[in-house]
Amino acid sequence: MSEVKTNSHLERDLAAKRKKKILAVAQYTLAIIITLFVLFPLYWMIVSSFKSQEEILLLKPTLWPHEWHPENYVNVFKRANFGKYYYNTIVMTAGILISQMVTGAFAAYGFSKGKFKGQNILFMFVLGALMIPIQVTFIPLYIMCANWGLADTFLGLILPECVSAYYIFMLRQTFMAIDDSYVDAAKVDGLGRVGIITKILVPMCKSTLITTTLVTFTNGWNNYFWPKIIAKNETRRVLTIGLAQLKNTFAGQSTMNNHEIMAGAVMAILPVVILFFIFQKYMLTGYSKAAMK
Amino acid sequence: MEKKTSFKPKTISALKDFACVLPAIVLLVIFTYYPICKLVQITFTDWNLLNDTWNYVGLKNWIWLFNGSGTKHLLNSLRVTFLYSLGELAVTMGGGLILALVFNRLTKTFSIMRAIVFVPKYVAMSSAAVVYLWILNTDSGVLNYLLGLIGIPAVDWLGQRETALISVLMLTTWRTLGYGMMIYLSAMIGISKDYYEAASLDGATGFQQFWKITIPLLSPTTLFLFVTTFISSMKVFQSVDILTQGGPYRSTEVFVYKIYLYAMEDFRMDRASVIAIAFFVLLLIVTVSTFKISNKNVHYDS
Amino acid sequence: MKKVLAVALTAAMGCSLLSGCSGGGSTGGAAVKQTEAAKETTAAAAAAETTAAEAVDASKYEVTEPITIQWWHALEDQYSQTVQEIVDGFNSSQDLITVEPVYVGNYAAVNEALVAAHAAGTGLPAITVSNTPYIAEYGAGGLCEDLKPYAEATGYDLSDFGAGMIAATSYEDKQVALPFLISTQVIYYNKDVADELGVTIPEKFSDMDEYLEKVSIVNNGETERYGCVIPGWDQWYFETFYLNNGVKIINDDQVTTDLGSDEAVALVNKFKEWCDKGYIYWANGTDASSIMRQNFIDGKAFSVSHTSSLYNTYVDKCDFEVGMAWLPGGDTKNQEIGGSAILIPAKNDQATKNAAWQFMMYLCGKEVNMKWATETGYMPTRNSVLTTDEGKKFLEEKPAFQCIFDNLDLINPRIQHPGWSQLATIWKNYMAEIMIEDVDIPTMIEDMVDEIDEVLGDA
Repeated sequence: MSEVKTNSHLERDLAAKRKKKILAVAQYTLAIIITLFVLFPLYWMIVSSFKSQEEILLLKPTLWPHEWHPENYVNVFKRANFGKYYYNTIVMTAGILISQMVTGAFAAYGFSKGKFKGQNILFMFVLGALMIPIQVTFIPLYIMCANWGLADTFLGLILPECVSAYYIFMLRQTFMAIDDSYVDAAKVDGLGRVGIITKILVPMCKSTLITTTLVTFTNGWNNYFWPKIIAKNETRRVLTIGLAQLKNTFAGQSTMNNHEIMAGAVMAILPVVILFFIFQKYMLTGYSKAAMK
Repeated sequence: MEKKTSFKPKTISALKDFACVLPAIVLLVIFTYYPICKLVQITFTDWNLLNDTWNYVGLKNWIWLFNGSGTKHLLNSLRVTFLYSLGELAVTMGGGLILALVFNRLTKTFSIMRAIVFVPKYVAMSSAAVVYLWILNTDSGVLNYLLGLIGIPAVDWLGQRETALISVLMLTTWRTLGYGMMIYLSAMIGISKDYYEAASLDGATGFQQFWKITIPLLSPTTLFLFVTTFISSMKVFQSVDILTQGGPYRSTEVFVYKIYLYAMEDFRMDRASVIAIAFFVLLLIVTVSTFKISNKNVHYDS
Repeated sequence: MKKVLAVALTAAMGCSLLSGCSGGGSTGGAAVKQTEAAKETTAAAAAAETTAAEAVDASKYEVTEPITIQWWHALEDQYSQTVQEIVDGFNSSQDLITVEPVYVGNYAAVNEALVAAHAAGTGLPAITVSNTPYIAEYGAGGLCEDLKPYAEATGYDLSDFGAGMIAATSYEDKQVALPFLISTQVIYYNKDVADELGVTIPEKFSDMDEYLEKVSIVNNGETERYGCVIPGWDQWYFETFYLNNGVKIINDDQVTTDLGSDEAVALVNKFKEWCDKGYIYWANGTDASSIMRQNFIDGKAFSVSHTSSLYNTYVDKCDFEVGMAWLPGGDTKNQEIGGSAILIPAKNDQATKNAAWQFMMYLCGKEVNMKWATETGYMPTRNSVLTTDEGKKFLEEKPAFQCIFDNLDLINPRIQHPGWSQLATIWKNYMAEIMIEDVDIPTMIEDMVDEIDEVLGDA
């Protein structure tokens, strides 16, 4: 430490520092460029949603609206029944979320803390369901639901998605990590299974639960395939489908309605994006947690 | 006597534990396992949704698919789906890794930028898709305008065979880049600094360190991304449905979209089912084989 | 963990496959039961029909109790006010029936929803619109109620509708639907430019060469103004060129196509030639329709082939005078009906059907029909309208429709075949690929014919 640095040493240090600085600048520049690229479609969506129809048709697109037209949003609500789509989406998402949480928590308990014959086989049975996506089974599933009168109903939207093998798997892993002694102690205190799950296990793995639930929520909110199959008409149409249909709904009335379609797109993602910034911590780790398992 | 009393609560307890998993099992049987059995059955019928009745026709649909005019469609969907999957894999894994290196700085600015890059994952595909429709529009889309500024003539992105799938992949890239980045970043943070320090002492350059330490130690993550992305990319539907509807001339007719077309547009449940089963088997093969590779070639940091 | 998981997954897969085999038997039973139930209902319906035919008992078709019925339609936002006025008009005209209009989506979406609901036997609308080419499929599948007994019981005169329209909404000898919003293919052209150049839309397909050369502006391979835009997204817009030039599309044997015949190939080559020269633009793909319209409005296309129902839209949007012409013909100059018919699903209960019929009579009535015709570009469907003052007033307001009125008898029903929509999809896909890409046309046509023959044979 006490030795004095020679000139050449100093020079080398300086060169290394300069190199580091250049690298840092390059890294910053690159990162900013990429971020801007990613941001652009979102920016374009929001800006276009406030433009007039004449303005979106300009051959030279404008980066900033000449005049603001917030009434585009009102128009979408008035013409395309967006209020109803919102309502349908909220009920469907809530239904899927609650049913997946309840079935998931109980099943996870049974597979992690319970003991019964055939436990492992049944768990594999649950995991096997991961391999059978709804994109394969939708034909018989649709006919079955339609025969039960579930087409264009909330039950039809929710029931086929009310158990998630993924959710069960994630919760089971977390429950397994909790020491059995907590459960045993609770049993001694006379707590039943419902009590153990709701009062002991669930509070102990809050963060997993929040992340998994957030993933489930966004998946539910952004759900497209099954609603397209089962809810074909306006009464139970959800936001994602309603948005994809806007082009048809507005067809004919004029040539291009992208300003209003963009307004619809903004409204469809607003709740999830707000949620993202509130729960940023959990949202960012949500998927990486799954990767670690 | 004693034995009996100690046995009984145990049985009851086991029954109660079983009851906990029962709802999930029952629902899975009804909404997942029963339909897949039913699907197999439909492949042996001539069921057209327009007709009230149907008959068993033996292997007719299977022959149509593997040795008839269906073969062409099967191969086309196979090709398109794999091309798409390849694209999504390259973007999520390659792009994700590169972005993880670029955004690997623990400052506030970078954490905000990371969040921005990750946001598209949470943006509903349908919103993202209509925005891309607008950006890619031939006459008044902003992409063609920008290309025009540097002298490239307008491209009919969604209307040409060469660019349609690329356009779909552009949307995919936007949505999954940040995801791949996040997964790699959290894995990189988990790599112990000791490895790098030891390598530095041995005189390894930054690039060598990356190649010899980071990449091998990331292999479980890479594998996770590979397996999950591969399987989920094969199920692509929504972006195709909104952007191209399988067109132009079938150049984006991925498996799920093809099944959907047969079932919901032609109402040929027989043909849709037989393709669905073929697709299911393909998914199985992909899953099982990727898991097999995973057990052989991965370095575990334990 | 990963290894365990992998084993678990494989094992689970095995399980599911095994259970798949054992479960198959019981599911089969359930399905058979279902079809039996379906048979019973059709049998009942058939029985009802025969009694109706024996002696038309008017009381059977009366609406006696208050009822709310759903009307599915495909009328977009721009028509919502007209829809509401018409429905309100009906609801207030009587006390028993309340109609709820439901916008389902475009014609394809209505088709999807309707067939699915029919198969399930639940969730059917009381009354629904349907695009005209689907009628044959529906008729063959037993989806629609035969309307003749209803018309007889209520004394509704069907003979006032145009003969072609009645034919287009029948299947075998049943009246399975009624004409509702009817249109036909036309060519819209820029009349200002036409007057300037002194051209008219040719009557004959063989005169198209000369005409296209005159109206198109092509500089060094770059088209500045297309002579005509052909909508490649729907074969309806180009199928009349075939029918008028000696191609039947579906042969008399009903299981093969003649789209590979010399006449058909000659047409393909002609279109391809015009595409290559930059005279015509084959509009295909997402947004093709709005791109086509925008080109016309901006003056980048001299003419477009489109449906007559969009007349008002074109006139509103263009700052030049819009002309409307009959498509160039060949040996014949027939055209085909388009737009939508209206029908009552057969699986509804009798009370619903009776209420639906009441609403249908109103919807297809002269007054409502004229309202549609004046407020949109759809055509009057009734013969008696044409000679009345209303008809004359209509023509005064929309003189361009003269070309349609002159040729009303030449508007024919669509080709009726259960495999038609599958054929159409294959055909338009191949046509677009031939026109837009650089492909070997003879092999493409051969492949297309093979594929279509297979579909027709299996329909």
